[in-house]
Order: sequence, then structure tokens, then C-alpha cells
Amino acid sequence: MKIEIEWQDYDVIVVGSGGSGGQAARAAADAGANVLSVSKDPVGASDTKISEGIATVRGSGAEDDTEDVLSENLKMAGGDLPVRAITDAFAKDSTSAYDRYRTQGLRPTIKEDGSGPEARPLPFGGHTRRRSVGHKNSGIAFGHANWNAIVQGNRVDYIEDAWFLDLVTEDVSNGSGPKKKIVGGLIYDAARGVLIAVRAPSVVIAAGGLSSLYFPNTDTMRGNTGDGYAIAARAGADLVDMEQVQFLPFCLASPPAYEGLCAGEPVMASYLGVLRDKNGKIILDSVFLRTRAECAAAILRAVEDGRGSPNGGAYLDMTANKELPLSGPYFQRFGETCLPSSYNTARQALGKKAAKFEEPWEVRPGAHYHMGGIRADANGASAGGEGDGDAAHGIAGLFTAGGAMGGVFGANRLGSTSLTEGAVFGGRSGQAAAAHARETWGRNRDAAFQPAIDQVNRRFGQKGTLAAATLKLELQQEAWKNIGPVRTAEKLDRMDGLIAECTARLDEVAIPAYGMWNQAFIEFQELRNLLDCAKAVADAARERDGSLGGHVRFDRKTISAFSKPYSTVVRLNDDGWQVARLERERTPMKRLISYKVEDTKRKIQLKWLRMLPKGVKDRKLLARYQAIMGKGAVEKVSAPAISIGSAEAATGESTRA
Amino acid sequence: MKVEIVTVRDGEEAVVEFDYARRSEDERPMVLDVLLQAQATTMPDLAFRYGCRARNCGVCTIDVNGRPIIACRARAREGDRLSPMATLPAVADLVVRRDGIARQMRGRLQTAQGNDLNVEAPEEYHELTSCIECYACLNKCPMHMRNFEGGLPGDMDPADRPDPAEGYRWGNPFSLLKLQMIRLDPLTAESGREAALDNAIDLGLDACVGCPGCKCGVGIDLKGLVVKALVDAAGDRLPSPAEKALKRAS
Ligand SMILES: Cc1cc2nc3c(=O)[nH]c(=O)nc-3n(C[C@H](O)[C@H](O)[C@H](O)COP(=O)(O)OP(=O)(O)OC[C@H]3O[C@@H](n4cnc5c(N)ncnc54)[C@H](O)[C@@H]3O)c2cc1C
Ligand code: SF4
Ligand code: SF4
Ligand code: FES
Repeated sequence: MKIEIEWQDYDVIVVGSGGSGGQAARAAADAGANVLSVSKDPVGASDTKISEGIATVRGSGAEDDTEDVLSENLKMAGGDLPVRAITDAFAKDSTSAYDRYRTQGLRPTIKEDGSGPEARPLPFGGHTRRRSVGHKNSGIAFGHANWNAIVQGNRVDYIEDAWFLDLVTEDVSNGSGPKKKIVGGLIYDAARGVLIAVRAPSVVIAAGGLSSLYFPNTDTMRGNTGDGYAIAARAGADLVDMEQVQFLPFCLASPPAYEGLCAGEPVMASYLGVLRDKNGKIILDSVFLRTRAECAAAILRAVEDGRGSPNGGAYLDMTANKELPLSGPYFQRFGETCLPSSYNTARQALGKKAAKFEEPWEVRPGAHYHMGGIRADANGASAGGEGDGDAAHGIAGLFTAGGAMGGVFGANRLGSTSLTEGAVFGGRSGQAAAAHARETWGRNRDAAFQPAIDQVNRRFGQKGTLAAATLKLELQQEAWKNIGPVRTAEKLDRMDGLIAECTARLDEVAIPAYGMWNQAFIEFQELRNLLDCAKAVADAARERDGSLGGHVRFDRKTISAFSKPYSTVVRLNDDGWQVARLERERTPMKRLISYKVEDTKRKIQLKWLRMLPKGVKDRKLLARYQAIMGKGAVEKVSAPAISIGSAEAATGESTRA
Repeated sequence: MKVEIVTVRDGEEAVVEFDYARRSEDERPMVLDVLLQAQATTMPDLAFRYGCRARNCGVCTIDVNGRPIIACRARAREGDRLSPMATLPAVADLVVRRDGIARQMRGRLQTAQGNDLNVEAPEEYHELTSCIECYACLNKCPMHMRNFEGGLPGDMDPADRPDPAEGYRWGNPFSLLKLQMIRLDPLTAESGREAALDNAIDLGLDACVGCPGCKCGVGIDLKGLVVKALVDAAGDRLPSPAEKALKRAS
């Protein structure tokens, strides 16, 4: 069936209206470009909007927090996989990019001396300095700021309920530069039932991550179907570190309606929190000093050994913190305020006793974020070539930012860095995309769109006996088992077989012949993208032959921090999927050793603390909490903000008047 | 547990009965769980919106027994009837077209700002940022109903309905909330505050005079924090309740 087609012209298309898309659209428009923002979810509804709303702002909590300190922190935490120029850019822009959010209405708590936003009391999720700034109403506050950035107009037009399907490119034949360039993209506008062919020299892919590759459920938006990665790969772009999927360790395991939602982070376990198996045996101590991946791996080892909890997880036991008479109340307050939105979810799902930390929480890992992504330079321009790569070897006119972009976090992402990532590289890619559009534009290239249009027309009205939604669910379940938080050579082989089988069945999916909001076509398109992502993850996972960060192999050793680091790169060309390694620069040995020594020291100190007699321990902890939170912290009544989750007068929550 | 799901495909409406299989005896599923199970079993092409499953993204609102609810956090009950939100035009199954609301705010969000970003916002500002844009508050809003000749989009011939792509002419509690946020923001200059009030009046703030008031899906005090604040600020730029009653009578 031929569906109606509309032609439009823009300087820059931004795919996605989350944090990175919102900032990219605004930055490109402010640089003078005419921008089209397109998203499949309602404008602003994205992972950004549902996040905890904690952002890394350099210098907000510690005066000695230089650009170098932050950049090195990111690079080392990422197992030396991040590209130094990119972590440098992050460190350089984190404050100014955050301030741009503030001009759009984001209002943090301000320090008493009025010098800037107030950072959270503890360094979060692997940071070496305090630099995590929280916000009332969590990510929803970011959602409002993004919404404002796009909806206001001022050179940004937007369409929502519109699926960006594929990039349209043309070959370039001039010598040393890129071999391909962007001429636009094809969009399915479901709400109006039309295809939109947009001629544009620059496209910024800010379409977020791929967590929906996995089922059981995750804490992310359903739309995380890896569209951006798949679309870029099909256009010939490089993808880096695709094996590096971040699984949050502490997602709820039950009841079903809450399954997969984030209940907390390692830091929340505080000084005395531990993980236990179903027999009560400790499977991981010093939880609050561990990375997400370490915690997730500990839980899954217990599950694989048959020592898991009833719903396939383990127990996060924080009761030892709470039991202590003096410091206990401080811990309670800390636990409630550390990640308010997660705490609220846990409280609703697990009940009163758990909310008072008087009983352990049943938790299991869930897909949360993808460190890998479209390979780019420090301005988000598509990159290729050896080592760190450069834009001259990428696709001209293709840009990326946020969850879609790779090379920022490598093997492990520090807590609260991703909202900042969106702001920094959203801003940078938007500006770079506008500059590129100014330099290059010219004649009509409509013919280049035809193959993509034909492909879509062939699918509408496709006869078949299968439902894409059902295949999708099967794929998600298999991905969890085989390329999820635990991988082995055998699992990877099985996944390859499944991907091939499922790909072959794409032609048997039934898609009715009408244009207006064709859910079957939408599911089909997302399934197709998920399959490409599954392939990219599986290939990269095979190339990475040992555990590192978010990639956990139960059949291989852990890759040492002292060995020569490399990133994986996958690309799709005429010969199919290709995978290779990219050399990365290792942090100087001296720095690595001192980092390790510090880390070990902290863990030993904590072990000591745990072994002290109760009374001494209690007084020591009291002093620590008071130093961090202030002496009056337990008396301070929390602000009566309407928390999303409070029951009062929420008319949307009951089905009876 | 049996529920009825109203589906619309290619313009045709049908009511489908779905029997939800509880996953454990004591499970009290949310409405969204029911939809997800329907999609995973007998209705794979069922169209409905959802995102976060945690009452944060605001996109899953549908009508249950004729009232808007947030599907991911409202329990389903035997015999419930699930249908698309009646206050916006239906597109497919439970999906409605939302963008006529946001688009009316284009060009109305500009605020002249001061230079100092480090000013604490008042508590009321943060209470308003808890709005998840679920549009439950459109229910029975006389201002919003002006867009559809005083009724609902479903009462009108599709050809006569206003085009959402243009942005609806008349406002609603959500749009007023956005305008009030601008007014409460300490960074907004006085001219920005005035412009926001002008915009509220232009969107039909007079409809709020004498209106019993709106209800928010997540519990924001819209009547107090938004409507009253704007109506008070507008003062005699709006007709008084008495004048309004008189007009209606004549
Ligand atoms: C529960 C939760 C808590 C979190 N907490 C934090 C935190 O406290 N701090 C932090 O730094 N990070 C946090 N994160 C991570 C962070 O929120 C995300 O990584 C980040 O917001 C991603 O931003 P983005 O703009 O790249 O993508 P998203 O915000 O996910 O936006 C993706 C956009 O792309 C659109 N899209 C996707 N595919 C298509 C397509 N084919 N066509 C058109 N549009 C498309 C979507 O509709 C959406 O608009 C959290 C994440 C979750 C899920
Ligand atoms: S004001 Fe309340 S009901 Fe209206 S959109 Fe916002 S959260 Fe939903
Ligand atoms: S008070 Fe105003 S915004 Fe609220 S329902 Fe009435 S007319 Fe609508
Ligand atoms: S799914 Fe996000 S609010 Fe219901």
C-alpha cells in the first residue's frame, strides 16, 4: 500500500525530545538553524522526564573539583574506554550546560551563601567528589525545562507521535573526507497517518537507549528500543562499546506492577548495608562502595547457583543501619532523601516495614542505561577510523548526543552523569549540526529517498500470520537470558541463532493496510531495530573476551585494569556485521595504582567499622551522618511538596468516583 | 477478571471483552497491567500509550468508566470499561491526539529573565513542577470544552473539529499551570509576568469565574495554586461571578 507522503525542508532534524534532544534542538535553533524536533513519544516524555533528576555539576560540592579531576574520574571509572577528548568536553561544559537548563526553568536548591546549586551530601555512584545536584520532583522538573525548550517555538518546529524510520544518505566521492553524507530522513507520523520525507543536511540522533531489548521489565520508558543505534548502523555509522549495557542492581522484583522499577542505588545502602542470598548468607558487603555492575553480578551469581530469592533476585539488607539507636534515625532520613523517587516507589511496593528499613528488600537487576552507542567526536559528530577516531571518517552531517552517543562512559557510568551528558552533548551537537548545515546545502536530492519510501510502502499491507508484538516479547526474553547481565560463549551463540530465526520471520508479520496509527507497523519497526541492536550487542560481547564493567562473562576472567584497554566497534556494511577493536590510552600506572589503593583503603576502613562493638559503631556513625547532613537533619520536617506517589487527592488513581 | 476495552481501528469502533488472568491469587493489577497482558496474549496490535509504569511520564491516561485515570497506578476492577480519554480526539484504540494542548503554548513561553540564576524558587513553584502532563484535568473543564462547541470532540463531526496541529484556541488547567509557573519563577521579569497573565486571559480565563474548579490527576491544588492565583491577579479584567450569571441568563 502506498501511504501519503509529505516533503519538508529543515536545516537540522533532531530525533528525540528528551534531555539531549531538547538541548540539541534549542542549541541548533539559537545558532540560527531551522530545526525539526521529532519524537515518537509526546514531546518531552522520555527517560529524562522519569529519571531521579540528579545531575553532575562540577564544583557544586567541592572546591578542588577541577576539570582534570572530573575528566579523569569519568575515564578511570569507565575502565579507560572513554575517549579523553570526550570526557574533557564533559568536564569543561558540565556547569555551563547545566546553567542552560536553568534558563529554561530548572530550579535547584541554592546554597546558603547564594553561590550556586547545592550538591547532595555524599559523593554519588563512584564520584570522587561531591557534585550531584538533586531536584524537587526529580526528572519531572527536567521534563518541564525540556518541554519549554522545544514547545516555545523560536525556530524549533516539532512533531510527536512520529517514528523516525531511517536516515537517507548519499555517497561522496571527494578524496580524504567522509565517504557518505546525510541528505535527510524518513518519518512515520502515526497521528496523521502520513510519511514525512525531510530534506536536511544535518540530523542529530538523540533517541536514547536500548533497555527495552530486555524483558523482564526495566525502569526505563517503553520506547527504549534502540532505534537510534539501529538507524545509525543501517546508514553505515560505527557503534562503540555495544556490549556495555548497564544493569541497575536494585530493581523491584515484585509485585508485578512494580517489577523492574528502580528501588535504590548502592550508595543508599549506607555504611552497613549488605546483600544476602535466600539463606541469609552475605553475598556482598560494603555495598555502598560498589559499582552497579559488581552488585548486579553478585545477585546473578546467587541466582545461577540456585540461591536466589523467590522472584529471581537477592535481598538488600539495610537493617543494620537502622537498628543503631543514635545513628539509626539519621540513616532513615538519609535513605528517604537520597533518591526520593526510588524510595517512594519502594515504599509503595514493599510496605511499611521495608520503608522503615526494618526488613530486607527483595531486589533484582534490570536494564537501565547503555554506555555504548554511536561513535562520535567531542562535538557529537559521527566518527570513524582508528583509535579515538575522527569526523573525517564518519558520516558527514550525522550527529548524536545523550544515551544514543557512545564513548562518554565506556565500561561504567558514574551516577548522575547522564542528565549532564544530555545537556553537554545536546548543546555541542546542536551547535555543530547548525554549523554543518550552514556550510553544506544545495541541490535537490529527492531520488535518494526512494528506496526507503518503497521499503515502507511494501510493509503496509504485508500479509502474514505473526504479530510483531509477540515476536518482540520473545526476543526480549531471550536477550535477557543470553545477552543480558550474564553472558557466556554458549549464550552468545544461542543468541545469534535466535536473531537469525527472528529476522527471517519479519516477512511473515501481518501489517494491516491503513496509515492512521498503525500499531502493527510501529511494533514491526521497533522489532526490526531491536534485532539490529541485539546483533550489535552480541557481536561486541563476543569480541570482549572477559568481564569488564557492564559486560559480565561467567565463563571468562575479569579483564585487569592494568592491561591494555580497548573498545569494541561494530558496523554494518555490504558484507554484513563487522566487529573490531579500537586501542585506547591507559591512565598512567601511578594514577591507577593510587586509585586502587584508595579504593581498597576505603573498603578496609568500612570492614573495621562493621566489626566495632555496637555502641562505638553507633557513635562513630552518628558523627559521620551529622558531619554530612547537619546535626538537625532528623528534626527537619521534609518539605510538603506533592510527591508523585502521595495518595492525597490524586484523582487519577482510583477508578471509582 | 473481565473488563471491556473500547477499540478504534481505521475509524471503526468496537468493544472487546478481555479476561485478565491474575498472576497470583492476591494480585491487584493496575489498569496498565491489564492492557499489557491483552497485548501479550489475544490483542497484539492493541494501541495504547504508556512509558514509565510509575506515574512519572504522564502519557498512559485513559478513561475508566468514563473518568480519566493514570493507567499505570490505578487498580483495575471487575467489569471496568476502558476507553480513550473523551476530552481529546481518539486516534486509534485507546490513543488520543494530545498535541493540540501543548501547541497552544507556542509563543507563550518566552520570559524576559534576570541574570542571576542563583535565586531560590518559592515552594509553590516546585509544587507546580510535579505536574506530569497527564491531561486528567481536562475532564469537565468548560474552558477546554469551548474548543468543541461546549462539548467533547466525539460529539462533533470529525471534519468540523479544530485542527490540533494549530494548537487549540481555548485553554485548560494544564496550560494555566504552565503560565502560573512562569509567574512564580523568581527569574521572570515583571514584563514576563504580565505577558503570562495576558496569555491566561486570552486562553479564556474568564471561564474559571464561577467554575466549580478543576481536579488534578496527581493531586496538585489547581484551584488554589493556579486558578485562584490567576483570577485574583486578573482582577476586574474578568467579569465578576454576578456579571457572568447575568450574561448567561440573558
Ligand atoms: C528511572 C531512571 C532514573 C534515572 N536517574 C538518573 C539520574 O538521577 N541522573 C542521571 O544523570 N541520569 C539518570 N537516568 C538516566 C537518564 O535519565 C537518561 O540516560 C537520559 O535522560 C537519556 O536522555 P536522552 O535525551 O539521551 O534520551 P531520552 O530521555 O530517553 O529520550 C529519548 C527520546 O527519543 C525519542 N525516540 C526514540 N526513538 C525514536 C524514533 N525512532 N523516532 C522518534 N523519536 C524517537 C523518544 O520519544 C524520546 O523523546 C535515569 C534513568 C531512569 C530510567
Ligand atoms: S495539572 Fe495535574 S491533571 Fe493536569 S496535566 Fe498536570 S498532573 Fe495532570
Ligand atoms: S476552573 Fe478554569 S481551568 Fe479549571 S476546570 Fe474550571 S474553567 Fe477549567
Ligand atoms: S506509564 Fe508513565 S505515567 Fe503511566
